[in-house]
Amino acid sequence: MKRIYSKTKSTIVKVAVLSLPLVTLLSSCGDDFLSYPSETSIPEDRAFETPERILSQVNGLYGSAKNGALFGGRYLIYNDIRGEEFRNRTSNVVTGYSSYQFTNDPSDTYIANFWSQGYLTINRINKFLADFDNYPDAVSDELEAQYRAEAKFIRGLTYYALVQLFAKPYTLDNGQSRGLPLRLQPETNSANNELAASSVADVYAQILQDLNDAEAGLPATQGSNNTTRAHKNTAIALKTRVYLAMGRHGDVITEANKIVSASAPFSSPNNVAHVLSADVMALYTQYNTLENIFSFPMADTNAPGTQNQLGYYYNVGNIEYYLNQSAPGIYADREAWPESDARRSLTEVYSDAWHILTKWSGDSPYDDWVPIIRYAEVLLNLAEAEAEVGDQGRAIALLEAVRHRSDPDYEFAGLTSREAILTAIATERRIELLGEGFRIPDLQRRLEPIVSVGAGASIEPSDDRYVYPIPTAEILTNPALVN
Amino acid sequence: MKQKLLCFFMLGILLIGSAYAQDRRISGRVTAEDDGSPIAGVSVLAVGANIAAQTDNLGTFTIDIPASVTSLEFRYLGYVSQTVTLGSSNNITVVLATDATALSEVVVTGYGTQRRTEFTGAAATVSGSKIADRPVQSFSQGLTGQAAGVNIIQPNGLLNNPPVIRVRGLSSISLSSFPLIVVDGIPISTGDVSSNAATNNPLSDINPADIESIDILKDAASASIYGSRAAAGVLVITTKRGSQGRPRVTYDGWVGVTNAVRLPEVLNAEQYIAYKNAAIDNAFEVNPNFTGAPRNAFVATQDANGNLVDVDWQNDVVYRTAVSQNHNLTFSGGSEKTVYYFSAGITDQDGFLRANNFKRRSARFNIDHQATNWLKLSANINYTNNQNNAPNSGSYSGGAFASSGLGRIAMAQAPNVPVYNENGDYNTEANSIGRGANLVAMQWSNPQVLIDLDKNYSETNRLFANMAAELNLADGLTFKTSYTWDLRNTENHRFWNPINGDGRATNGHAFNQQVRSDNWNWINTLQYQKSFAGVHNLNIVLGSDVQRTRTAGWGGQRQDLGDPFFNQYQGSFLTNTAGGNSINDLAFEAYLGSVSYNYANKYFVSGNFRRDGNSALSANNRWGNFGGASLGWTISEEEFFKSGSIANTVSNFRVRASWGRTGNGNLNSYYGAYNLFGTGIYGSVPSISYSQAGNNELKWETSQQTNVGLDLGFFNNRLSLEANWFNKDIDNMILEVPQAPSKGIPGNSILLNVGAMYNRGFEFAVNAVPIQKGDFTWSTNLNFATLKNEVTALVGDGNPILGYTSSLELSSYTQVGYSAAQIYGVRTAGVNPENGRRIFIDNQGRQVQYQHLGGANSYTLVENGTPVPTSSVTGAAVPLGNTIPTWYGGFNNNLSYRNWDLALNFTFSGGNYIYNGTRAGLLDQRVWNNSTEALNAWTPTNTNTDIPRAIYSDNVSNGSAFLIESNVEKGDFLRLQTATLGYRLPQSVFGASGINSLRLYVQANNLFLITGYTGVDPEISSNGNSNIASGIERNSIPQGRAFTFGVSLGF
Repeated sequence: MKRIYSKTKSTIVKVAVLSLPLVTLLSSCGDDFLSYPSETSIPEDRAFETPERILSQVNGLYGSAKNGALFGGRYLIYNDIRGEEFRNRTSNVVTGYSSYQFTNDPSDTYIANFWSQGYLTINRINKFLADFDNYPDAVSDELEAQYRAEAKFIRGLTYYALVQLFAKPYTLDNGQSRGLPLRLQPETNSANNELAASSVADVYAQILQDLNDAEAGLPATQGSNNTTRAHKNTAIALKTRVYLAMGRHGDVITEANKIVSASAPFSSPNNVAHVLSADVMALYTQYNTLENIFSFPMADTNAPGTQNQLGYYYNVGNIEYYLNQSAPGIYADREAWPESDARRSLTEVYSDAWHILTKWSGDSPYDDWVPIIRYAEVLLNLAEAEAEVGDQGRAIALLEAVRHRSDPDYEFAGLTSREAILTAIATERRIELLGEGFRIPDLQRRLEPIVSVGAGASIEPSDDRYVYPIPTAEILTNPALVN
Repeated sequence: MKQKLLCFFMLGILLIGSAYAQDRRISGRVTAEDDGSPIAGVSVLAVGANIAAQTDNLGTFTIDIPASVTSLEFRYLGYVSQTVTLGSSNNITVVLATDATALSEVVVTGYGTQRRTEFTGAAATVSGSKIADRPVQSFSQGLTGQAAGVNIIQPNGLLNNPPVIRVRGLSSISLSSFPLIVVDGIPISTGDVSSNAATNNPLSDINPADIESIDILKDAASASIYGSRAAAGVLVITTKRGSQGRPRVTYDGWVGVTNAVRLPEVLNAEQYIAYKNAAIDNAFEVNPNFTGAPRNAFVATQDANGNLVDVDWQNDVVYRTAVSQNHNLTFSGGSEKTVYYFSAGITDQDGFLRANNFKRRSARFNIDHQATNWLKLSANINYTNNQNNAPNSGSYSGGAFASSGLGRIAMAQAPNVPVYNENGDYNTEANSIGRGANLVAMQWSNPQVLIDLDKNYSETNRLFANMAAELNLADGLTFKTSYTWDLRNTENHRFWNPINGDGRATNGHAFNQQVRSDNWNWINTLQYQKSFAGVHNLNIVLGSDVQRTRTAGWGGQRQDLGDPFFNQYQGSFLTNTAGGNSINDLAFEAYLGSVSYNYANKYFVSGNFRRDGNSALSANNRWGNFGGASLGWTISEEEFFKSGSIANTVSNFRVRASWGRTGNGNLNSYYGAYNLFGTGIYGSVPSISYSQAGNNELKWETSQQTNVGLDLGFFNNRLSLEANWFNKDIDNMILEVPQAPSKGIPGNSILLNVGAMYNRGFEFAVNAVPIQKGDFTWSTNLNFATLKNEVTALVGDGNPILGYTSSLELSSYTQVGYSAAQIYGVRTAGVNPENGRRIFIDNQGRQVQYQHLGGANSYTLVENGTPVPTSSVTGAAVPLGNTIPTWYGGFNNNLSYRNWDLALNFTFSGGNYIYNGTRAGLLDQRVWNNSTEALNAWTPTNTNTDIPRAIYSDNVSNGSAFLIESNVEKGDFLRLQTATLGYRLPQSVFGASGINSLRLYVQANNLFLITGYTGVDPEISSNGNSNIASGIERNSIPQGRAFTFGVSLGF
């Protein structure tokens, strides 16, 4: 009996000891034990929860375009380093050496990143526009219209950038050549990889539609954010660039006239009163003068990221590219661009060998704002259109307005023919917009060869290197693109 | 310890009923062949009489035998039994050889151990002693060539760079193929926990000297008890514990030197100047508009004494002869009820790369106590501090193209510019080294500045603590509970100097990050083990396992030094931003059961099942069911076999087969099921943007494996063979499916369960003691595995998966019908002897020659000079070769003669191709220095060559712009991994000093390598653990050759 008792007792003790951990075990593992949503990202179903968060999404669309791989640096860089104005110092493939030499190929990951970031921005916009339909009363109708317009403005700007780099100029054949896949629906799953490229003309049509929609929905002013967020004049100004690229000079004049007065001194009669800044330096130090129609802002906490920063490329940051001191570089042309020109003070003799562009002068982390649209460009766009199809006197006046801001005593000689005026305007663009991403598109829309210092050759429009190839990653996943 | 327990058990049986007249007293000593140490607990059996004795802690024994006995048999688990014929002497010394099969006698499977004779899966066991004395940072590096079917690649000679381990081939494409590592029951994280250039393999937190054994579970039936995460195999690490007996104290220490081997031969200053100037002349000849450099741009620089500046950057600046040392002290022992083990270790290893250092200090204490006859309690605590220092080697995963990577700079830096200026300052110009007398600027930073002033540091403090209880509930019924806590704190420090290198653009930069990983698991098992009627042996285990890991990191980046005085994060900086922030949560919950039964140790059947939940999968598909089954038949136990004459020769004959289903839960992202918006800043306002396209259907990736095995033993198992055939089918692969970039999916990929792949192969392990004669013993182990990997399905109608080297260079291609990670590049057909141009094969199969600086005529047909578009060549990449070795193995030999022992371990591997991308850089025609191979470039008088004509600035002809076939090489090799010669001092020397044993040894690691591969080493992985971009060498530092001298002392 005692034995049985002791055996039972022993079993009871054992079971008691055993049950301690088991009870805890059963209570600790519910369904929640396996559920850990992210604590550092916002879930999709809560992205429209507050008006502030919707505004954050709009900021995110701008931020996406601002990425260093896209407008935060590379768009400008790729459109300048392939021409005759700069020479490469570092022979580093990461910072565009292949583009400079015209040896880049479809597998170039940095050019592919440009493509990806462009389309990522576009998809984010497409998704934003579609998702917004599900939250009809999240903000006022007016604000919703404005946000949609801002999104479309960025989409137009991004498609414009992509079509410059990856498709033949519109002017070659009125846009009949292969353009881009025109993605307008949100993509959130694995469907729809294949989409054929639309023609260049279709892409331009979409850009114009986006910009027209944007103009309608954008506010007349964004107040203190006029430079960093789009308002009506921003969309109009971009349209002058797009029409110019299409060779539709009449439309350039129509659009430009909305924001350029009939005669000097030129300023915008509507909405934000854009005007040339008296001080050319202020454009790159104050960033938000009335001339800076649209720029991407930077800050210490929001820098462009390594090997994308303009100051790193052109200024003492790393002098990836320095000014070409020989003809045909514009810097070497002291007749067209005399020493008396204030814009010469945006360059610097770093050493005998390296004369550099110092428009972006901030130190690390290089948070100089990136100028995307300036009033000076609009004036030159208009001047070119007037010279082509309109009032040559006004063309000269616009040209002189830009020149005399920096070099008041300069006198243009021989502006007696349309060709001479156009040549002077082209030269002026090279000086005024140096380093701001215009050289290659300016050559391409005029179907001129790219005079490449890096390749030691002129790249003709018929050369397949004239524009970037579609990246390998796209071709492999979207074979329909080229069919 | 497990060996001892079994040993006592066996001894008990043997000792039953011994009563004989004793006529003669024999005494002696038994030692181990591999390191000469005494073996305690060896059974000494008098052949032909029922008499036995056992060796003590000093390995000595005494046995009284009748005159009729003429020989003694010595048996010890894990060693080959030996029979010694008695001569006239009454004092004998016996050396036992390790039985590699058998290391073996017990397999540590999931949640328990199993005797190998009952084990019907496929597993390899590596004894801790095989790796304890190697000059490595983690045990994982020491496993090379030790186990059949386990392939280990040490990526390069950077200290504590995690090796690539593959058990039976590639287990996944997008998830990690690294096996699950279980240390004393708890799965731990793997990879590189550093966020800077100093690699920090978390497996180095375990002192290799504390490891008792490593069991590698290869087949699914044995691995599936770890169900959810076992698809890549499981490495079960068992650490040492105490054993009964008097206290044993050991000291093990070594000191060694390491040097870099197989450095590429590069041009000296004179050759460099002549070669580059000739290349400039050629450039002008091709294109008079050439602007890359003026003629004669390269000029000899003279130092103050008028001597030519000629720097050997590799040997004079970047690499060195490095000294390392290692010390371990252990105390162990115990009584019948309580056993303990305590160890302390310190290691301080310098790398042959300057400023590369690894230090570890560790302590471990564990105790097992039999509290009552039904309750056993155990506790274990291990604290480790490891510190990793390195300059930027460019040799960590993702670092191949780092502009401050010393692996490349050491080769490519111009030899004709000085390290220092005359005034003693560093020679610099902007962000590069100063040009000296050259007329063109240099490209690379001054490596001396990077070595002296940059800092990459990763330190881990790690605590492993475990408590466990084992309750004997009833006869054969045991309940076990074990809680393990693994707390890791890693601090990563990075400082970049403002003078030269990565920190110049930011005028100095510091990035510090703290990562805390809190990992715990709790295992409960109920085991019933019972024999019925002496022939029915049953073993049932039921259990649960929960694990939770939270890893949170935070840190900051500081830029723009306030004063160059500072070289720490805590100094003065003008710009401060957050950096290195993350929170990751992961939880597993599992219920498991296994049953195994055998009849009379002849017929074996077992099965196991596990249901697993993983928080990283979608809510609907979180739970998965895994399991396996196996069968075995030990024919040699059958009466008909035993009675046959064959039994005299064949001592063991067994066949077995298994099948099982395992899962892979090694997701890189724990939130792949969610659609997410990431946060950011636009200028100065907050922003959020669509950052992840989730897949709310994400489910388990599963792998099914069949294994058929054969075990043969001959001559009392003096020769044994284990052979396995396996077929591992992986389906529902979780693939980062590439999306058309134009869709704008964040990251251009979505995790989907698509695709399938298989690995098939044979494995053989032969263990033999070919010679055992008197004082001389030779034992050998040869293991050999074959592997065929093939991808059988991917998404859609065959969109390939592309792999990139360091996100920059498209290098690899994974496609249906091929083994994964093919080298992907453009085919070449040598050099046109007419004009020295590289010939490519374009996308129409035509021979196209490339003329650098050729303008519109850059690419022309060889046959008629017609220009072809660039894209017809650059878009013509094709798969150029498999990168996964198709055969590999090891050949390990231990020889001993009297007090001497010699071990020779060879490893071999082959059947694969390597992309020698480093060669592309060594032949690049920019300002970079070239290998001496470049001297054979085409010239009008040297037309029969495969090196194109040198044209300054050419980065296309030799593979810097895109991958080319001419840099693809075979990867076969044979290496003498380690050679160790040891001498054990005779016992008589010690007298009454209290010293028990003393062994001295010298060891050489990587003594020689036989290979046709021309890069630094055929064992290379510039892309680390990547599944889809393996087999690429790009700018890595080489491997080292180490010589060590060591001492093992026992008290």
